[in-house]
Amino acid sequence: MYLALREMRFAKTRYALIMTIMLLVSFLVMFVTGLAKGLAYANASSIENIPADYFVVQSDASQRFSRSEVGTSVIDEVRNVVGNSHAAVLGVQMATVTHDGASQKIDVTFFAAESDSWIMPDVVEGSGISSYASGEVLVDQKLKESGVQLGSVIHDQTSGMAWTVAGFTRNESYSHTPVIFMNEQEWQNWKQKISKSVQASGNAAYNTLAIKASSSQADQLKSKLPEMEIMSKSTAVSAIPGYKEEQGSLLMMIAFLYFISGFVLAVFFYVITIQKTSQFGILKAMGTGSGYLAASVLGQVMLLTVASLFISILIIQVASRLLPDSMPFQLSGSTIGLTGCLFVIMAMAGSVISIMKVNRVDALEAIGRVSA
Amino acid sequence: MTDKLVLDRISHSYGDGDTQLKVLNQVNLQVQKGELVAVIGPSGSGKSTFLSIAGALLTPKEGQVIIEGESLSDYTAHQLEQLRLNQIGFIFQSANLIPYLKVEEQLLIMARLAGMDKRKAMGRAKDLLTRLGVEHRRKSYPHQLSGGERQRVAIARALMNDPAIIFADEPTASLDAARGHDVVSMLAHEVKSEGKAAVMVTHDERVLSLCDRVLRLESGILTEEASSTLHG
Repeated sequence: MYLALREMRFAKTRYALIMTIMLLVSFLVMFVTGLAKGLAYANASSIENIPADYFVVQSDASQRFSRSEVGTSVIDEVRNVVGNSHAAVLGVQMATVTHDGASQKIDVTFFAAESDSWIMPDVVEGSGISSYASGEVLVDQKLKESGVQLGSVIHDQTSGMAWTVAGFTRNESYSHTPVIFMNEQEWQNWKQKISKSVQASGNAAYNTLAIKASSSQADQLKSKLPEMEIMSKSTAVSAIPGYKEEQGSLLMMIAFLYFISGFVLAVFFYVITIQKTSQFGILKAMGTGSGYLAASVLGQVMLLTVASLFISILIIQVASRLLPDSMPFQLSGSTIGLTGCLFVIMAMAGSVISIMKVNRVDALEAIGRVSA
Repeated sequence: MTDKLVLDRISHSYGDGDTQLKVLNQVNLQVQKGELVAVIGPSGSGKSTFLSIAGALLTPKEGQVIIEGESLSDYTAHQLEQLRLNQIGFIFQSANLIPYLKVEEQLLIMARLAGMDKRKAMGRAKDLLTRLGVEHRRKSYPHQLSGGERQRVAIARALMNDPAIIFADEPTASLDAARGHDVVSMLAHEVKSEGKAAVMVTHDERVLSLCDRVLRLESGILTEEASSTLHG
């Protein structure tokens, strides 16, 4: 590091420039990662927030809740294996609603669960809902932006049914729409109105079962219920309409940014290594080991990378506070850590050709040369 | 044992098969403590190869190099590296200093690589720079120095790790007559006072009077030059 630090002190501008590029790239990596995570959460927070390990859906439902139905026999079977309290029914139905007199239509997703179930979210404002057919629902805070208040009445376009807002929940959305929670009585009443088959059978099925189970219990369920699929929470999340597509394109951008940062460093350090070939020759002639010189190059790369990462993390903290609410942004400590590590690994990969070049420099270069 | 450097029947050639080019042919040389030896010869006479082999940068095809009584024939690459660091001092042509190190640091890096105690290194660097008259420049970068000053720093750097022998490759190539004379006389003085041996490859006839012996390398054959009587 003796040489590495002194060279950076001497060629301040050169290294400041490359550090600025690194800073911008690492900032962009962090920023896009934060946006991707924010979007993911804004998309699927209602599923993310359910403290379940697995979801049970029909095998032919392509992992989509809306295409799946779980009947009472399946529910009983699952409850036998994991225990009554560890399996909770969940109904999912997308709908278009209006509220009070407002003419604006809003797309929402209705979640139906037993009112005392652990699926039910915490109420941040107002009160919870009972198990009676009281006509009350819990809605996501995001609906406040559309003018919904405690006591507002929500009308479903298809059925003409109406519910009163009893309380607000936070961060509950599904496929980017705010989630409205209702109890099982309301679910039954509503489904009777909108579905002919429910009218015929007299009983509305739920779409899925959320279960808390160990992996061995999940395997047990798989063998017992061949017509059902036991999918993990992360599978359920990525099966939400639009989720995979959205995350896919963002992930591609992030991957490219990593490659770009690796290449920028590779090119920069390769060029300055080539410029310094005769210097390395002199140092080697005087008895400096290749390892020392390689460590010096790697030291510079690490120093630049870590310093620019550190600064970009500071900037990202400030930036995330300045972002408007409509731009969902989420960057946890572990994501920052992982992103940082990946970035450092890319930078190290970028310095590989330079290090190979340093190793190949021959001490003989020092003899018979006019300038260094 | 006062022979610091012995070259024993060194031969070297480049290429292979029919196109073999013999660069050094049975070269013998002994350099003793306190001796400054000049090697002259036309370009293409094998001076660079000679210096590379004597300086443990290149292994000869035949013969052996002995430094401080130790034959280098069986040395590994790492051992040669350590030998160059501790037993050999190099002075190269014109600008051979590391551009981003201050004068003092040019010397300290050598001590650092050799694992010398830091305080001792500081003391030795100051002492050497004072003796060579560049102490006032110790915080300057090479590009701020004159050509003569640079070569004096290079001499100090070569002496830093207290080597057995110093090799100089055309040290006066970019200097005018007076400065070149200055630099070589300082080198000669240090070689005498520190009890080193030195081999200087040069084609600068003006500095030969400062050398103890002058050898001529021509077509790979090293011979003693009669002009060594110039000495004095």
